[in-house]
Amino acid sequence: MISTNKLTKKFGDFTAVDNLTLSVKEGEILCLLGANGAGKSTTINMLLGFIKPTSGTAEIHGLDVAKNNLKTKEFITYIPENLMLYPSLTAVENLDYFAGIAGKELSPQMLTDFLKEAGLQEEAFQKRISTFSKGMRQKVGIALALAKDTKVLLLDEPTSGLDPKASNEFGELLQKLKNKGVAILMATHDLFRAKEVATHIGIMKDGKLRQQFVAENISLPELEKAYLDTMNYKEALS
Amino acid sequence: MIIKTFYKESKELWRDGRVRITFAIVVLLLGIAVWISARQYQNINEQHQIAQKAEREVWDNQGEKNPHSAAHYGTYAFKPKYPLSLVDQGVDKYVGSSIFLEAHKRNEAQFSAAADQTGLSRFGDLTPDFILLFIIPLLIILLGYNTFTKEREMGTLTLLKSQGITPWKWALGKWTALFLPVLLITALLFLITGLVLSNLKDFGVFNWQSLFSLFLVYIGYYIIFINIVLFISLKATKSGIALVLSLSVWILACLAAPKAASNIAEAKHPYPTRQEFAANVLKDKQNGLDGHNPWSKESKLLEQEVLAEYGVDSIHKLPFNFDAYRMQKGEEHEAEIYFKHYNYLKDQYSKQSDLYQSLALVSPYLPTRFLSMAIARTDYTAHWDFSDAAEDYRIATQKFLNANFAENSSYGEWGYRADADFWKKLPDFSYTPPKLNAILSSNASNLWILGAWMAVSFALFLITTKTV
Repeated sequence: MISTNKLTKKFGDFTAVDNLTLSVKEGEILCLLGANGAGKSTTINMLLGFIKPTSGTAEIHGLDVAKNNLKTKEFITYIPENLMLYPSLTAVENLDYFAGIAGKELSPQMLTDFLKEAGLQEEAFQKRISTFSKGMRQKVGIALALAKDTKVLLLDEPTSGLDPKASNEFGELLQKLKNKGVAILMATHDLFRAKEVATHIGIMKDGKLRQQFVAENISLPELEKAYLDTMNYKEALS
Repeated sequence: MIIKTFYKESKELWRDGRVRITFAIVVLLLGIAVWISARQYQNINEQHQIAQKAEREVWDNQGEKNPHSAAHYGTYAFKPKYPLSLVDQGVDKYVGSSIFLEAHKRNEAQFSAAADQTGLSRFGDLTPDFILLFIIPLLIILLGYNTFTKEREMGTLTLLKSQGITPWKWALGKWTALFLPVLLITALLFLITGLVLSNLKDFGVFNWQSLFSLFLVYIGYYIIFINIVLFISLKATKSGIALVLSLSVWILACLAAPKAASNIAEAKHPYPTRQEFAANVLKDKQNGLDGHNPWSKESKLLEQEVLAEYGVDSIHKLPFNFDAYRMQKGEEHEAEIYFKHYNYLKDQYSKQSDLYQSLALVSPYLPTRFLSMAIARTDYTAHWDFSDAAEDYRIATQKFLNANFAENSSYGEWGYRADADFWKKLPDFSYTPPKLNAILSSNASNLWILGAWMAVSFALFLITTKTV
């Protein structure tokens, strides 16, 4: 579903992503951990076709993103760190618009069903987004993924700034999507949430994928240690 | 995607309180402007009809009088107030509403509305053309300056791009959402104007085709503004910058360019001063036949030519009054002089207009203003046309009077009096303004310039959407 092959992006002399090869299959969640500037967001931007790779390929649903930019968007839903929607429109209207421009014509009943499935409270459906918290907006994003019947979900720091309850709810929603066969790639700093939701975990540093684990094979302390080791914090801990 | 975006944008615009208030203010201003103009139009038309009737009665009831005395007594040609002047008053306010028609002299129109106003008139009037030419473009700026910049600032552009938008379709949806309220407000104004005019007495030359043409010209003007404002919004990084740039374009196009064009045109092709004009006419008159002077060289030459033509040796033996004949020939000579000097003025005006048109390349306001005034019959060309028709009538009147004098009296019989009923035989002055087709063909260059502005600005806008 999601794959990169020797994906590289250079900005002048700076290499943001360096020979990155990874793969996320249907029903898998890969959480990419790493400090700021590790190359997580750049990787997602290349998968979205927002920036062109210097070399290597990024593929969505078997299609090279650079060559099939518009076509690959049909399979993708993207939820950035701070999902921004139209503040003067209601949740239903926002979902209707974004699903509509993605080519999905939905009845009012379907719109409310998807919002309900995404965990948004019913009384919020007809409220303007300007009154929504970040967690509520993320749920509209998930509703969009459900409405689009998305195959690939790309998330960039989606739980940053969410309270534990909202973060937990968000994790449950990701599990739901995973069970529907969606391939999910999530860039995050949140080790706990990554361990909770991921099927696979990767640690990036300086644009390279330094370590990769099957989530069920590693405990949270082990993951934390691996992360800190990778970040060269070993000395500080010992 | 176009329709979805159109609906979304329209909802956002409608829910924005500032937009609703602005929209309401513009509609209110338009209503007031139309109401004021309709009242003015009705008042002036009534005054015009009363004055015309009274003046004709005075003319008809002169009693027995020498025709040349009647020629000096004179009459008036009243310029009709055209229905579409309700939309665009053009130069009407400044050029005078009636022309005094008398022997030997072509007078300029007098009794302009501006001359009757106090210094407060310098503040300008609230007229529909002011709203149409200045305020609605400002409304477009207010509604559209952040159309694209807000997507960047709010962060919604990222989500949109991730959904796989086709930029030109998305942009066209936004364009349509901005165009529709402007179309509605303009259509409303023109519809109200049409209904008001068609229900007024003395319908005049109003027709719906002219009104519709005027409507299309303004819609074209607004399309250009929409294209420019959205182009700026696409290119600008922040809404504040987009607003400042859009307002700068408005100032340049609507305020600075027309004034600069006037200054340049006046400096390059100046009109003679009133004194120069009068002195030039007088000089030419002195070099030709004076109908009142039987002893001049030109009069003697005319006398010899007429005697030879009729084969007689004395002007007393001519079958008509030679004094009246000479008067008529003097009139014809003076008419030619006026024709020559007024043609010079027209040439200067034409050169000024050409210069204006070349400057229309930097401002869509200029071709729009020219077309608007032309279709409303309130431009200088329409005034010249009326003035020429009045002059033709003056010449015909002098001929009519001199012919009566010549045919019914003998040489030296200055005591001759025409019958009291004679004056009624002079046909009324009637003037038909140019037809719409003629106006549009004579303004073809302005139509082309406006069309070019529309095409180029729209192409620029669409091409720029690729950078989204």
